[in-house]
Amino acid sequence: MNPLPPDWQQTFERYNDAITRRQFFRQSGTGLGAAALAALLGNRALGADAAAGAPAPWKIAPKAKRAIYISLIGAPSQLELFDYKPHLQTRFKEDLKDWLAGQGERLTGMTSRQAAFPLAPSIFKFAQHGQSGAWISELLPWTAKMADDICIIRSMKTDAINHEPANQLVYTGSMQNGKASIGSWLSYGLGTLNQDLPAFVVLHAKHSSPFSNVQAISSRLWGAGFLPGKHAGVSFRPQGDPVLYLNDAPGVPRELRRRMLDGLDELNRRSYAAIGDPEIQTRTQQYEMAFRMQASIPELADLSKEPESTYALYGDEARNRGTFASSALMARRLVERGVRFVQIFHRGWDQHGTLPRDIASQCKDVDQACYGLVQDLKQRGLLDDTLVIWGGEFGRTVYCQGTLTETNYGRDHHPRCFSIWMAGGGIKGGVVHGETDEMSYNIVKDPVHIRDLHATILHQMGIDHDRMSFKFQGLDQRLTGVLPAKVVKGILA
Amino acid sequence: MRSSLELKERRTWRWLLCLAGGSVAAAAEPTFYAARVAPVLDRHCVVCHGPEKKKAGLRLDSFDHLMAGAESGSIVKPGDVKGSELHRRITLPATDEEVMPSDGKPSLSADEIKIIALWIEAGASPTKSLADFPTAPALRPARVAPVPLAPSWREKAAEIAALEKKFGVKLVPRSQVPTDGLVLRSASAPQRCNDQVLAGLAPVARFIVDAELARTPVTDAGLKALGSWENLRAIDLTRTKVTSAGLAALSGLKHLEVINLTDTAVDDAGVTTLRALPGLKRAWLFGSKATVTQYPVATAP
Repeated sequence: MNPLPPDWQQTFERYNDAITRRQFFRQSGTGLGAAALAALLGNRALGADAAAGAPAPWKIAPKAKRAIYISLIGAPSQLELFDYKPHLQTRFKEDLKDWLAGQGERLTGMTSRQAAFPLAPSIFKFAQHGQSGAWISELLPWTAKMADDICIIRSMKTDAINHEPANQLVYTGSMQNGKASIGSWLSYGLGTLNQDLPAFVVLHAKHSSPFSNVQAISSRLWGAGFLPGKHAGVSFRPQGDPVLYLNDAPGVPRELRRRMLDGLDELNRRSYAAIGDPEIQTRTQQYEMAFRMQASIPELADLSKEPESTYALYGDEARNRGTFASSALMARRLVERGVRFVQIFHRGWDQHGTLPRDIASQCKDVDQACYGLVQDLKQRGLLDDTLVIWGGEFGRTVYCQGTLTETNYGRDHHPRCFSIWMAGGGIKGGVVHGETDEMSYNIVKDPVHIRDLHATILHQMGIDHDRMSFKFQGLDQRLTGVLPAKVVKGILA
Repeated sequence: MRSSLELKERRTWRWLLCLAGGSVAAAAEPTFYAARVAPVLDRHCVVCHGPEKKKAGLRLDSFDHLMAGAESGSIVKPGDVKGSELHRRITLPATDEEVMPSDGKPSLSADEIKIIALWIEAGASPTKSLADFPTAPALRPARVAPVPLAPSWREKAAEIAALEKKFGVKLVPRSQVPTDGLVLRSASAPQRCNDQVLAGLAPVARFIVDAELARTPVTDAGLKALGSWENLRAIDLTRTKVTSAGLAALSGLKHLEVINLTDTAVDDAGVTTLRALPGLKRAWLFGSKATVTQYPVATAP
């Protein structure tokens, strides 16, 4: 924790004085206070990479240099994928109403008024895979093939019961709006690997089933929150050019564009000196990033040199822009070129009804490409220092939402346990961590809160989660917040 | 830096004494003070209350100094835990101005506090043996100091910065620990990081433990320069023009653990060369001309 300087009150007063005087002198262009402002904002506004040569105080030796977060929006059912509960088969349709009453869990409004809560065993077959013998469902045959590369955590838990707060908790560390996303924290805390590309790129993958229940998501999940705007994730378009308007306008050669930007930069520098709004810097940095991306993006997006073997690995779907498979391939190309954090959002995992049909098509969208991505990273020697995370925002209930038949059912939201997997980046492969009770309702061994997951991700990336902070509204903001968070030591290689 | 080194020496010395005592004569059984109390004070207090700093006139690096107390008086009252300033300070809430250790340094663990308390309670004796304190918790071993990967780059920070600027590459510290070494980072402008640049980095090469050279114009000539970067642990040569012949220049890199030769023209002759590297754990050869995609070949599950 950085204690406030002893003269902090005067500092704020001076800052307030300076603001008004700055406004007053703005026209005369004295630019007074630029130095004071720089001193006030320090490297906070500039980010960690500004102070080259002096590592940020939170920097620890990293295991991973980059990370890919496969974000499955809607909450994939742990009961259908990784959390095998064979003995439930004999309890088909057993009413859990009384048992649930004893659990003290608030149910969502979608099922709380159901007359009965019939137990719905999974209709999907499970088998043990790899040397680890991990139980994986038939819905994920490709993932099963890499059981020894991945670490399955069956004991994730969250505080939220609805999608938006749950997503915000997973991807920004807080159910409240306005916090900084994981990728923006990594950009802030570690700086960029390649100045010509954003440190944090977001890919939106299509889901193939027209029937999937789809949640809207917004840039809150990849925004910079209170961090300087340059750390926000940059969304690539799933169709056409990944980034729009990168080609120079007719009659504007690159040199002219450069001169224009230099001139604009000078003007922006002056107004930054006069007003001190960090958003001015953000804007300048966006112009510069766009200019550099004019050179870097075409090469990145040019898949013509990818050999046929690539498509054999990721699946033919990788040829179609915007699919999950093509996003996975793009993720590999991005991390290869020095993008620090790639987040792929794949929506449509919210199976309140017709779960068997919809989860099957969702799994088909991602399964082979996930395998392809991990194997591709591995064969290129990238997996050792690239952390891959696969998961949703919460779990699903053991009881059925709606009508339960032998072949069809739905499941409601369940925050107390869910399953994710991680691979590479110093995480042990072939490990199953944590255990739930017979109902896949409560965790009975090695619980991992979202905060612990964050602490672990940061730890692998070379950040002490306790020490990385950003002062905002008088608080030392951290991704892991103020409640205790611990690195999950048991899964580290 | 010197102080922590001396500290370590002193600790080792005391430890050796204990060992010697144990093996030579039962009479010299370690005292509780030496085996438990002093290590706790060493770990948390002596950096500020020792031979170098003596804050508040207090030294905690020997029994006599501890009992002599601070400018303000004694800090240990034998037999009176609650009345001992030492105990009071280490048990204050972390937010209290008077809490020790100060300045946000990690506080003592519950076990460590218990050790101090038991010792004071039993009379703060310099001679009572370990066996006299059957209920005392064991000490967690001090965290093993990380093995230095390279000499500290701190003194050369200016030279490093100048070379970064001159060559358009980045030399990034891996962590806060200056002996964790630097990463040579070229991804922002790979085309600039050529053989001449590698040769030009010679003055700071001993600090570099990780050379990220993927997609650079580096050739076998550049590998000659790398051959003298004695502390290299990892080299990424993905999609470069290096060949098997050039790899021979790396034969002196005894710490090299990982080399990535994906999408290069390296063939089996290169693999043979790599095999002689004593520290090598993995070579990646996907897309190369070698008949294996990695070495050593992963065992099939």
